[in-house]
Amino acid sequence: MYVCLCVGVTSQAVTEAVAGGALTSKEIAKVCGAGSVCGRCWRTVRAIIAATAPPE
Amino acid sequence: MTNARHSLVLAFDYRVPDAVRMWSLLQRRAGALAEIGAHHVVVYRAMRDARRVLVTIGIRNREPIIDLLKSPVMFQWFDVAGVEDIPAVFAGEVVEKIDLHDRSAVDVPPRVVIAAMASVDDPTALVAQVHAGLERFKQAQVRKIWIYRAFDDDHEVMILQEVSNVDTALRWIDHPDAAAEWIARTGIGAYPAVFVGSLMNIMKIDARC
Repeated sequence: MYVCLCVGVTSQAVTEAVAGGALTSKEIAKVCGAGSVCGRCWRTVRAIIAATAPPE
Repeated sequence: MTNARHSLVLAFDYRVPDAVRMWSLLQRRAGALAEIGAHHVVVYRAMRDARRVLVTIGIRNREPIIDLLKSPVMFQWFDVAGVEDIPAVFAGEVVEKIDLHDRSAVDVPPRVVIAAMASVDDPTALVAQVHAGLERFKQAQVRKIWIYRAFDDDHEVMILQEVSNVDTALRWIDHPDAAAEWIARTGIGAYPAVFVGSLMNIMKIDARC
């Protein structure tokens, strides 16, 4: 799935960023670029973080 | 198995303030859609949520997908409908079209549809599994099964099933056949929950628009 249309970032890339320790929208944007331009994909980015991040 | 080279298909599932108005406004944008090579737009509306829609766009130009997605036409699509949050977009091609009732209608879009986007372990095995379970699908009043594979992820699929009516669709969701393992993989991360809806509109776009 393409999550960020501005930068062309896929859900795989976002999932890998979360697995690498990025746990906020800002951190995801910094690591893979998703949400770094218009931010209209943040809802999906947050859903991926929720599905991927280890429980606290 | 379908061997012909197919169009790129974009699909997205999202909520709009007013689906009827969205369609009215989008019809005026046929020219812009033609610019990106779109030849068909199909809109389905969810049964239990009048604001939820599933859109598929067939596109002649297959590459590069990234440039297509970055096109202002895509952003305008959501802007026109008053959609702020842009949904995840499936980009792939159909790899299997199965018609369990009327072979002559295989290319006609499903009317009552169950749509699922998901990541599965082995898409090739999934296709074989569907074929092995065709009789069970038929008994469950599934009329068509279209399977798409994503270009960006070897595990990602989109499956559209046409069923005979809404009640059948809802029953299927509550008690999916074991052959439909993908149903359990939906609603996770970027993947929307299973969509159950009916055909709302089709737009055929002339390349010369």
